[in-house]
Amino acid sequence: MTVDQIPVTGRTDPAARADRATPAGRRPRISMTARRHRAFYLFTAPWIIGFLLLTIVPMAYALWLSFTTYDGISPHWRYVGLGNYTELFSDPQTWNSLGRTGLFAVTSVPLSIVAGLGLAVLVNRPVKARGLFRTLLYLPAVVPPVGVGLTFKALFDQNSGAANGVITLFGFDALGWLADPYARYVLLMSVLWAAGNVMIISLAGLQDVPRELHEAARIDGASAWRTFRSITVPLLSPVLLFQTVTGVIASVQTIMPLLLSPDGTTAGVTALPQSNYLYMMHVFSQYFALGRYGYASALLWVLFVLILIVTGLIFKFTSGVVFYNVDPEAKK
Amino acid sequence: MTATSLPPNSAPRVRVRVNRLVLYTVLVALTGLFIGPFGWLILSGLKTPAELAASPVHWLPTDFQWQNFADAFHLIDFLGYARNSLIIALIYAVLVTLSSAWVGFGFARLEAPGKKTLFGILIGSMMLPQMITLLPTYLIFAKLGMVDTYWPWVFWGLAAAPYLVFLFRQFFAGLPRELEEAAIVDGCGYGMIFWRIFLPQSWPVLSASFVIAFTWSWGDYIAPQLLLSTDKSTLAVAVMTTYVTSAGTPVTNLQAAASVMYVVPILLIFLIAQRGFVAGMSTTGLK
Repeated sequence: MTVDQIPVTGRTDPAARADRATPAGRRPRISMTARRHRAFYLFTAPWIIGFLLLTIVPMAYALWLSFTTYDGISPHWRYVGLGNYTELFSDPQTWNSLGRTGLFAVTSVPLSIVAGLGLAVLVNRPVKARGLFRTLLYLPAVVPPVGVGLTFKALFDQNSGAANGVITLFGFDALGWLADPYARYVLLMSVLWAAGNVMIISLAGLQDVPRELHEAARIDGASAWRTFRSITVPLLSPVLLFQTVTGVIASVQTIMPLLLSPDGTTAGVTALPQSNYLYMMHVFSQYFALGRYGYASALLWVLFVLILIVTGLIFKFTSGVVFYNVDPEAKK
Repeated sequence: MTATSLPPNSAPRVRVRVNRLVLYTVLVALTGLFIGPFGWLILSGLKTPAELAASPVHWLPTDFQWQNFADAFHLIDFLGYARNSLIIALIYAVLVTLSSAWVGFGFARLEAPGKKTLFGILIGSMMLPQMITLLPTYLIFAKLGMVDTYWPWVFWGLAAAPYLVFLFRQFFAGLPRELEEAAIVDGCGYGMIFWRIFLPQSWPVLSASFVIAFTWSWGDYIAPQLLLSTDKSTLAVAVMTTYVTSAGTPVTNLQAAASVMYVVPILLIFLIAQRGFVAGMSTTGLK
């Protein structure tokens, strides 16, 4: 059905036709509200239906699978109750990968936010060719993950990489960047490369900070740093909170280690350097390499619950710090 | 008078100048740091395999191997994969832009019981990790016989994307109420109002949404990897997995050349649509 053919509310509906049958074809007042209600559901229906079928149903299906030994091929799968979950909690790989993922999130998210905010402050100053600087700094953020992976593999290759080229110039030995223990730093750098994402959103926030506030602070003799800390950061706090929450969720499901691996395919997930074997990699290896769909589903559900808890905690602990000066619902 | 006021005046002026110099140096250095890796990828794509294997590093290729780009084109069915990527990205971007605009109009302009809750779910679902639904979604599509077809992208497109819905909702909410009032008095349905009045007003958001959705799809790696067989798969998957010799060793110089050709279209689209794209990104941040 194209948008053209979507029935215009109130025309094809028998109730509305009945309304129009009233004297002089005028609709009674009450049907206006009814029409608006019906129209609302008609307009939001694609998303509601999509959300149910493409999000709720798959998640429920994964929940069911997580209680089974389903592997997609063998007909002999069975219900094992909480078996997968008890196994998961006693699997050292779960805990190790979870720990690495947590470490990755608590380093990469604050670093990206600080880097992005720093860049935003820089390109918010009245410099020449500001637009060009903004564009070039933002550019890496639009490079698709596969592009990032291949670019960083080229940069950090043991022989041909520019990174080793530079450090050998200074008389150091070439490092195996893409192996343990350095792989985690390459992963971190690949994430920081996209700090332009944070920059662009922080920049919009910076431009919303009322100029008078800065001027007032300057008249009161506040230093630039003090102004930044006491005025800019509090006013940006909703934006920074949004960045933190989406950043944590994105870092938890990053597939970059896979794309940085020497093999680079989902099948090669088991060949990853240990330091980049994150939780999602553990899911992939159970899913692709071992075909343990039930077990992988249990891992995913545990991750989902953990994300809910962590997001809830972030909101709870920032509720006193985050400052909303405009209610987004209020400005209609 | 001038003689006495000059010294205290010129000192800050010098300081301003030094500040400027530092600022520009930092900006140029950072820009170099951000653009450098991409330059290195291009250089790697212009070297011979021997140069790539040489240690210490060969900074510049002795002979620029331009034919690497042609070879990368012919070693695999580059055009075929690019066509697949393009088809999927177009299907998804067109559908998701229209459906998100449609849903965004509902949230911006119409009222009904439960709207607040639904909007809360919509915003909350932006925070839902997609990976978690993707693996079970694959199994469901497999059961429905839709693996190795482009149908999943049609459904994902029709279902609207919360992020883009939010974008359209913000835009539509800002348009004046008079726009639809006259049309309602004339007995025009909301579908018509959306199609005839609101959509034509929203070119900036439509183009931003299209670019964002196109970029998502072009850059997506896991979904096509999961759902499509090799010959139906996208350029993202092909660039990552198919540049190997028959013996299985990766052909890194051709892979680098291919990844340049894979990334450049997205960079060009971004540069062309920059304004709308950036505006779109930043509106969402300010929720």
